[in-house]
Amino acid sequence: MKRSLGIASVLFVVSLLLVVAAAVPAGAQCQLGVPAIKIGVQGAASGPHADYGRQIEMGATMAIEEINTAGGILGCRLEMKFMDDENKAATGVKNARYLVTEWGAHFMVGTDSSGVAMALGPVLAELRRIHFFTHAATHRLTEELVAGKGIQEIVRVSVPVYQDAIVAALIFKDRPEIKRWATIGADYEYGYASWSLFKDTLKKYRPDVEFVAAAWAPFLTLDFSPHVSAVMAQKPDAIFSTPWAGEAVMLLRQALIQGVFDQIQAWWQAMGGSVDVLEGIAAEVQRDRFKGKLWATARYIHNWPDTPENKAFIERFRKRWARFPNYSAETTYSALFIMKAAVEKSRSVETPKVIEALKGMQIRNPGGLRVFRAEDHQFVYNVPAGRVMVDPNFPIPVLGDLKVFAAKDYYRYPPFTPVAVTK
Amino acid sequence: MDTIAFQGLIGLSLAMYLWLISAGLTIIFGVLRIVNFAHGSLFMMGAYLAFTFYGQLGLPFWLAILLSLLGVGLLGLVMERFFLRRIYSIDEAYQLLLTFGFILILDDAVKIIWGGVFKIPPIPAFLDGAWRAFGRPFPVYNAFVIAVGLLVAVLLWALFEKSWWGRIVRATASDREMANAIGVNVPRVFSGVFMFGSMLAALGGAMGTPVRVASPGIGAAMIIQAFIITVIGGLGNLKGAFVSSLMVGILSAYGTLFFPVFELFFIFVIMVVVLLVRPQGLFAR
Repeated sequence: MKRSLGIASVLFVVSLLLVVAAAVPAGAQCQLGVPAIKIGVQGAASGPHADYGRQIEMGATMAIEEINTAGGILGCRLEMKFMDDENKAATGVKNARYLVTEWGAHFMVGTDSSGVAMALGPVLAELRRIHFFTHAATHRLTEELVAGKGIQEIVRVSVPVYQDAIVAALIFKDRPEIKRWATIGADYEYGYASWSLFKDTLKKYRPDVEFVAAAWAPFLTLDFSPHVSAVMAQKPDAIFSTPWAGEAVMLLRQALIQGVFDQIQAWWQAMGGSVDVLEGIAAEVQRDRFKGKLWATARYIHNWPDTPENKAFIERFRKRWARFPNYSAETTYSALFIMKAAVEKSRSVETPKVIEALKGMQIRNPGGLRVFRAEDHQFVYNVPAGRVMVDPNFPIPVLGDLKVFAAKDYYRYPPFTPVAVTK
Repeated sequence: MDTIAFQGLIGLSLAMYLWLISAGLTIIFGVLRIVNFAHGSLFMMGAYLAFTFYGQLGLPFWLAILLSLLGVGLLGLVMERFFLRRIYSIDEAYQLLLTFGFILILDDAVKIIWGGVFKIPPIPAFLDGAWRAFGRPFPVYNAFVIAVGLLVAVLLWALFEKSWWGRIVRATASDREMANAIGVNVPRVFSGVFMFGSMLAALGGAMGTPVRVASPGIGAAMIIQAFIITVIGGLGNLKGAFVSSLMVGILSAYGTLFFPVFELFFIFVIMVVVLLVRPQGLFAR
């Protein structure tokens, strides 16, 4: 029953596309036989996480402007449509269906939440469209849905929770005085996946550590005081924290006024290297309220790598938007250039051909060299982690005291041994 | 033991935000018989206005809160006078539609005016820092929230039980036709009560700005909890709203401490139990 429905809807989409293609005369120089290459873009554009969607939109817009100015892809212009997925799985799926079946997207880019991504995965197989994920981080997206279930349409340009969890374990395994860990976690897929992987990795290096407390906060939590006081009751040496965006800022503020940074050795704010978080806690960092104990990473940071490409990218981005690019901007920007390279190589916008063209791809982006991994469709690159601090060269705090790990040392590799993801 | 007492105190501060938002909701329902879905959006507007006055214009924190109350009170007055008043006489479904419409309008208005990115001003110096309670640092800010919440509770009690205006409002709530007959200007009471309820929501929102964020969507997050609290306490019952705010705030703080995996269910479990035992709510007559 399910299968026949899938075929029916695909036939419907195909016939719809044929009608559209027949009705509109093909662009004069476009060598792909389409009026324009349409890119559906999604991200969280409302609520405390809204800046990520906004940064996805800015990254995509800038990439498309640059590509179009330089003559498009094989003479074809790019068009984009951005939609707010509200960080909700149901909205993300509805948007994807609209973007492909009604608006006629050839490719999709974006998606912030792991919860939305896991819901989108199976739908992409049905819609037969590639979605370049540029933020959603659960390892299960690529490990389970691509390597396990074979959903080819999923491609991830941003680094998964290996960054949030395994990098943290590699840094803190060398801090023998930190023995008691607690988490204040995002109460959904991403928080569970990060904490599980962190515990799993750290335990291998440090059998002596204990995981003493966990408190979970769902999206739209406005008060983290009970979470902070609950985990602090267990007297942890360090906190592993995964709420992100505005929620990370609130959590850090509320932890500060409970005197947490006088009582612990370190606080790992997984995605604290994100521009909106750094802006939100700038005043506290200025006054050294975190006492050098706040550590973070991101899926790209603007002060690394120190390459001309990255510097030029930041300069263009700041000129265009008067802000620093967040990681979701860099990953989305890079995803569009990855798409461009694949379309040029396959000379097609058809999903199977473009996927074929991705195989073996190595591409230099602002964030560094990205290498496509065929088994799980993950682009492999590395991002350092560091201490949140003031840097006279930048108007907002940055990650300094950088710890750089080669991707091969912290990515998980196929065949994947499952890690039980639990609260 | 200290852990339990400390968590209870944190829960108390959580309860006070819930109390402020559900107090306004329940007063408006009690007198106007309107279920105002947009009440959470008024909370959100309170937060944004306080951010603007305090974080952007640099006014003193107290003044910023006061101005945001006035601003939202005015907004509430407009909502009641020009929109809600037209539909009192028709089916209740229209109230839901209209107030739900306000949620969408205000959420989008906020995005247009302040943008989609969250806003958070610095903590005022006099509220920064911590005192010691049960051997641990307890934030001055949370103590401030508790103090404001309790103060509002006392003032509301005095206002409704002891003042002339309170008596008129209670008379209107219990029988609007009779009140009208003895010379109470009922439409004016309605406007006044709606405005007052809006200001209570705004106070909840404004008070939290330096430690919580103002962002689109926080109203929708608050309104669900506020509804649950007013249902538990008995719709339209102020004492019920106070007691059930305390219950929900403190118990969910304990939920986070003792049952972190099930914490989210807590508030719903309380509601289900109360509705099974007393379907009309704890304090409804």
